[in-house]
Amino acid sequence: MATTTTANHAEKAEIFCRDEARVDWHSKALWLLRQKRDRAASSLPEWEELRELGSEYKLHTLSHLGEYLEQFEANCIKQGIQVHWAKDGAEHNRIVHEILAKHQVKKLVKSKSMLTEECHLNPYLEQHGIEVIDTDLGERIIQLNKQPPSHIVVPAIHLKKEEVGELFHEKIGTEKGASDPTYLTRAARQHLREHFLSADAAMTGVNMAIADQGAIVVCTNEGNADMGGNLPSLTLHSMGIDKMVPNMEAASVLLRTLARNAIGQPITTYSSFYHGPKPGGEMHVIIVDNGRTKALKDKLLAESLKCIRCGGCINTCPVYRRSGGYSYNYFIPGPIGIAVGAQEDNTNTTAWACTLCGSCTYVCPTKVPLDKIIAYQRRLKAEQGTLPYGKDRYMPIVGKVMGSATLFNCAMSVARFSLRNLPNAMLKPFSGAWGKYRELPKAPKTSFEAWYNKNRSE
Amino acid sequence: MKIALFIPCLVNQLMPQVAIATLELLEKLGHQVILPKGQTCCGQPMTNSGCFNEARSTVLKLLNAFKGVECDAIVCPAASCLVAAKENFHEFDDSPEAQAVINKLYELTEFLHDVAPVEQFTRPFPHKVSMQMSCHGLRMLTLAKASELMSPGYNKLEALLNKVPNIEVVYPEPHDECCGFGGTFAMDEGAVSAKMGKDKASAHANTGAQYVVGYDPSCLMHLDGMIRRLQLPIETRHLAQILNEAI
Ligand code: SF4
Repeated sequence: MATTTTANHAEKAEIFCRDEARVDWHSKALWLLRQKRDRAASSLPEWEELRELGSEYKLHTLSHLGEYLEQFEANCIKQGIQVHWAKDGAEHNRIVHEILAKHQVKKLVKSKSMLTEECHLNPYLEQHGIEVIDTDLGERIIQLNKQPPSHIVVPAIHLKKEEVGELFHEKIGTEKGASDPTYLTRAARQHLREHFLSADAAMTGVNMAIADQGAIVVCTNEGNADMGGNLPSLTLHSMGIDKMVPNMEAASVLLRTLARNAIGQPITTYSSFYHGPKPGGEMHVIIVDNGRTKALKDKLLAESLKCIRCGGCINTCPVYRRSGGYSYNYFIPGPIGIAVGAQEDNTNTTAWACTLCGSCTYVCPTKVPLDKIIAYQRRLKAEQGTLPYGKDRYMPIVGKVMGSATLFNCAMSVARFSLRNLPNAMLKPFSGAWGKYRELPKAPKTSFEAWYNKNRSE
Repeated sequence: MKIALFIPCLVNQLMPQVAIATLELLEKLGHQVILPKGQTCCGQPMTNSGCFNEARSTVLKLLNAFKGVECDAIVCPAASCLVAAKENFHEFDDSPEAQAVINKLYELTEFLHDVAPVEQFTRPFPHKVSMQMSCHGLRMLTLAKASELMSPGYNKLEALLNKVPNIEVVYPEPHDECCGFGGTFAMDEGAVSAKMGKDKASAHANTGAQYVVGYDPSCLMHLDGMIRRLQLPIETRHLAQILNEAI
């Protein structure tokens, strides 16, 4: 869904960059995760093989998606799981609401799901009088702070512990000034426990859906999905069609890379497999398309559906770490956010929030070619005539000048002359962002071609 | 070997010293070097911006400069431009003549390491150099193992520099993070690009090295502008300049 915003990525990032100490802190916190990931990955001699296998399993599943979805549905039904299909976010929300309304649910405990963010489920349910409690610690923090997530794995990474302490003091009554993470976590657990016990239904996302088992896998580190999944008798699980895997082997390959690549942990503390409702209870799985089959039709965009949402590409991204999760104009930030969300950004700048350094592609456990997809997103924007930063005006001129030796040589000797002879103070205003932040290049007297013609031509 | 130089526009126009060093180095190594006429930009500023139509005439002009030129290899002292040229030639011309040009394209490090390996450089370079592992050479030309990969390590750049007597090679921390240049990114995303450049330039200076050495002139130009702005006690040098001094 398009976010209605007018500030573009560069503008938002510029604001984020004004507090340099915070940028340094943010960048360092995420780089620490990248370093932990490097250590965890390097401890497995078969790491690169696992990446290759992960990529192959996902590609195979995506190219036989119809069959696997049908197999999954049939096996779910056999185990007493009710399966629903939603073509978009609105239909997903309606289905969820219908199930909850039927059971007169007043309070829903929810464990992290980017899909429910994608569908804007929380505000929808709240409008219908249902209280939604996000139960991951990070999610709960930003829910209390009335913010969306700024990262897909560590959603409150933008907040310092002192800020969380302040928020908890205000909202859940912790001591004023307390910022000790253990103390704050305990307090949050206590606060969440009350909600778990009083909730009428629980909802989770899905990390993997296993076709030949009719089972879903949910990964958390806090066990909150399991608290939710086991206390009330009504459980709902939302998944995108891209979460399918054929069998346990495929799931185990992805499970081995997911947590390692996310935060450097061998496996998520709770990797739970749900096979059916508990006695007397109901288990619902809602399978959502929401644009995914459209992406599948394009060979390159389809590869973005290999993503298992580990967040590794976000942690490594040098641009994300210095511009923050809220600058992307999409609910998923960083490289994967651009890959799947660039077309939703109505400022048309998010596709350019990348240097195409390729670190994300190399970090990715399923080898999503993120840099290629991001470059391609720019091409799609150009073809639609929606280029940012005045590119639609200056690019044709650049193309013309560079395509003509006379024009180009002429332009460049003027540039060299100006760089050499005009005072910096006069040039700076003309050189835009370059001169604002850096010294202008020292210009040589002549071009190499001129030197060559003088020194090497017989 | 007979080598045709591919000197991208930025090097030709603003950093001729890098091209001169490349030419002299290759000549001293016993190669015959020519400069085919009519070269221009590889089209990267346009294609990286998504503007393929606007890139076409520029890219084809560069390709035409090399079509039919008799040589064993086309060598370029700029990794990023080389990658772009390869991809763009392929994009706009799928003729066998274009493929013949593509097959001969080498980045300088690649050429000196893989194609015509150099045994030893003779003159000492008694300085500490901090390596600028620029992204396109690193991850698209695989000049070294990138830090994200867990496969066996190698580094063609370091292997070459280690043949220079008395040189000391060091790395900034993080050792292969992007410097933030990114072509038009430096202009479009000024604040983030500058912060990345500042972090990178400082990391290089923190190694205590006298020189930042790299294979990508555009990143070096970006770092140079940042180093002078911050008045850091370090200078940028292209690999070709170091090697040309050491032979
Ligand atoms: S694209 Fe790859 S690295 Fe990024 S979140 Fe998805 S799986 Fe992880």
